[in-house]
Amino acid sequence: MGLRSFILKRLVYSFVLILLVIVLNFVIFKSMPGDPVQFLMKPWTRESPEVRQQQEQELRDLWGFGEPFEVQAVKYVRNLFMFNFGRSFVDKISVTTSLERRLPYTLMLLGGSAILSILLGVIIGILVIQRRGTVVDSGTVTGSLVMGSLPTFWLGLVFLLFFYSMLHWFPNKGAFPDAWAFGWPVALTASSSYTSTSLSSVLSFNMVEAWALVAGYLRHLFLPLLTLTVFSVGGWILLTRATMLDVITEDYIVTARAKGLTERTVLFKHALKNASLPIITSAALSFGFILTGAIITETVFTYPGLGAWTWMAIRYLDYTVLMAIFYIVSICVVVANIVADLLYGVIDPRIKYG
Amino acid sequence: MILLARTQGKYEFMLRRFLGFMSSLLKNGKSIFGLILISVFLVLALGASFLTPYTAIGEDPLDRLAPAASNVPPTWFRSLPTWLGGNPALSENMVIVQNPGSPRLIADGGEFGLETDNPNVSATASNINYPYDLPFGYKRYGGEGSLRLTYTRQGGTAGGEVRTVIFKEFDFPYTGPPSSFYAAIAMQVNGSTALSGVPAVDKLQVPVKVNVILGPVDGRKWQIWPPVENIFYDVRIPKGFTKDALTGAPGPIERPLVGALVFDNVTGEFIDSGWVTSVKNELSTIRSSSQELINPKSPFPFPSDPARIVFSANPGKYMFGVEIVFVDTGSAEDVSTTVTIDNFGLLLKGTSFGLFGATHRGWDIFSQLVHGTRISLYLGISVAVFSVAIGLAVGLAAGYSGRIIDELLMRITDVLLVLPGLPLLVVLIAILGASIDNLVILLGVLGWMGFARMVRSQVLSIKERSYVEAAKAIGAGRFHIIINHVLPSVMSLVYISLATAVPGAVTAEAALSWLGFYDPMRMSWGRMLNEAVVEAGAISSWWWILPPGVCISFLAASFILVGYALDEVLNPKLRLRK
Repeated sequence: MGLRSFILKRLVYSFVLILLVIVLNFVIFKSMPGDPVQFLMKPWTRESPEVRQQQEQELRDLWGFGEPFEVQAVKYVRNLFMFNFGRSFVDKISVTTSLERRLPYTLMLLGGSAILSILLGVIIGILVIQRRGTVVDSGTVTGSLVMGSLPTFWLGLVFLLFFYSMLHWFPNKGAFPDAWAFGWPVALTASSSYTSTSLSSVLSFNMVEAWALVAGYLRHLFLPLLTLTVFSVGGWILLTRATMLDVITEDYIVTARAKGLTERTVLFKHALKNASLPIITSAALSFGFILTGAIITETVFTYPGLGAWTWMAIRYLDYTVLMAIFYIVSICVVVANIVADLLYGVIDPRIKYG
Repeated sequence: MILLARTQGKYEFMLRRFLGFMSSLLKNGKSIFGLILISVFLVLALGASFLTPYTAIGEDPLDRLAPAASNVPPTWFRSLPTWLGGNPALSENMVIVQNPGSPRLIADGGEFGLETDNPNVSATASNINYPYDLPFGYKRYGGEGSLRLTYTRQGGTAGGEVRTVIFKEFDFPYTGPPSSFYAAIAMQVNGSTALSGVPAVDKLQVPVKVNVILGPVDGRKWQIWPPVENIFYDVRIPKGFTKDALTGAPGPIERPLVGALVFDNVTGEFIDSGWVTSVKNELSTIRSSSQELINPKSPFPFPSDPARIVFSANPGKYMFGVEIVFVDTGSAEDVSTTVTIDNFGLLLKGTSFGLFGATHRGWDIFSQLVHGTRISLYLGISVAVFSVAIGLAVGLAAGYSGRIIDELLMRITDVLLVLPGLPLLVVLIAILGASIDNLVILLGVLGWMGFARMVRSQVLSIKERSYVEAAKAIGAGRFHIIINHVLPSVMSLVYISLATAVPGAVTAEAALSWLGFYDPMRMSWGRMLNEAVVEAGAISSWWWILPPGVCISFLAASFILVGYALDEVLNPKLRLRK
């Protein structure tokens, strides 16, 4: 079987998987207790029962709850494939809008921590391999196992305790200073806007303020980033160590050593290249979970990303938001799986698809 | 007979194999560390009831009351540097009156002293017992009987205000004040009612004034009861008493404001042959935290925290007592008045408590921690067993049986793997309710997929081995082959997964509890963190936040380490190459 038919097969299979997710999604939320219309009604209105009933009927028609089951299901599937998730039950804002607003923060946080922890994990893993069999090795393995089993929210709390409550080094919540809630610091907005046509005013972009802007974001990003990185770096260390251990007994490593290459060259050039396959595919898979990964961490630090959004949706049983999240996350994971499969072949040409 | 010998040999072999396995496991440093940790947690879980006198949520088991003051650090914070939150002035809980249920004078083998300026006063132990329950954690210090104070005067001798104090002196060893004090007193007054010209039924001949006092022995003492105005509902002015302006009283008692109780002959409540009780069915309670004492608008003396003001001269000798004044007008008849005192006690709640401090509700954190071990162990192990059982069944069925079942089961597995785990879990918990058994079921149902895949791939390879072929050729049934030939080779995976499934369940429970989805009937480690951070907002109370998290991490880590060690022992391929 060639590459083309493999991709085709994977795509069909992924499509079926996503369809199954959609069905499950629909079933879960359809079987939830309670009438969503009651949820949408204002509980404090003082209208007469007739008026209330009419309002209920209008809401039912507006949201399409009154339609027959099949029509609802078809509409639901169609809207999902067009990425039309409707409006949130709670704040009545379009789900897509909220998603766009929150996505940058989550990408910054989870993407940053993924890159950091993979880099750190691989480097530490190789350093450990150099000292395999020593106390450093077993200590690092034990430490990685322990760090990976720490409850993330508690790790976040401990960081808050030390860096916020005791040392006052970092803020405890949000993604930027509270003062920026209605816009960036004034001077910066003024200089970057086009109210003045002269070139000099555009060029008067103040480096100090620009740095203040970046620092404001970074200071808020630091603690959640640290939490996630500490939590996930252990897994990468263990993975790197395990794959490197597999590779390091191969004949070509012995050859490389026999050629008189330094241990560093042997490890980084010869061993790492051949051990990188599982690492890269796991990295691809872990990027699939970026959109869901940080519910707890974002809640601990009240970081305005997708995780905190998911948590709010769960708390208020915001069906539309939850359905959108489940769907998008599933798609991301499926896509990441396909990418990982394809990466196998790109990295290691010996692998035959089929 | 041969069969017996064979089975014997089999068991012997199994035993020897098990011992060999254990010895190789115990050669592994990680597994020793993990097993020691697990045994410590097992001891904690099994001995929880013996390790702490309090209940699982940290209450006093006798009266279901909080044993400590709100949000106080552990006692060893006294010797800690200040930058860690240490404070040398922290005080501890003190039970001042050891036997409040049966107050006795020192002369009668009790603990109270008697001070009076009149030979007509005498005190004796009485067998009369008051049925009231002492509040404030005094249940364990019960006792029968009461103290009877009698004033008798022959007709024609001199009268006047006769002052008597019944008191207990105690050492207060701490350099800081207690966080609060709690006192109680129950009284009845009986006296000759033969006042001339008045019907004998409802008149006391010698009225009595009462003050409960507290303060340093050599300094100003404070009247802590009775309160002056019945401003708030939790302050009980005894029914039927009147208040009297009593100024310039003798003695060292500080009386910043008036308010002695007068058991008098006009409005006193008479029950059962002329007895007057302080409150008909209850005893009078005194709390330093009551609004009545600290409210600035109240006419009562304390400008702020009464406990701090009363114990401002710390450390030193203090006294707690009741001042009883017989207001004898000096009539010509013989007079006699008896005051019976019972349930007379004082408790000090310290500004520190126990090994790990107390929560915002005053519950013992150490006790919560020890009892939480049970929940985490129970949950972790049952989830592991449950999910491994499901995974094993699915993996065996998918791996061994035909294409359709395999395909179906694996697609279900894929869907469950693709869905975001935590949101799904929380949504389902929100629907089903957050009881511990629901949690076990849900975590088990959502946690078997990875293991099922591992089992399936293992089964797929074993199915093609020649010994399975041979068994098939002999005519062994499918079930027989699975049980006797396939299952044994999967068992190493089972052991490893049992160990590695526990930490995930424990941390998942903690995370869910922390988010607020906890079993309201139980205090788990996750709920402790929820109460500390979300409910009490005590993000800086590190003595409260660190212990549950450390326990969760250690329990999770111990199982992870054992699982990793099992993997190294059972899968020799992974053994360290040097």
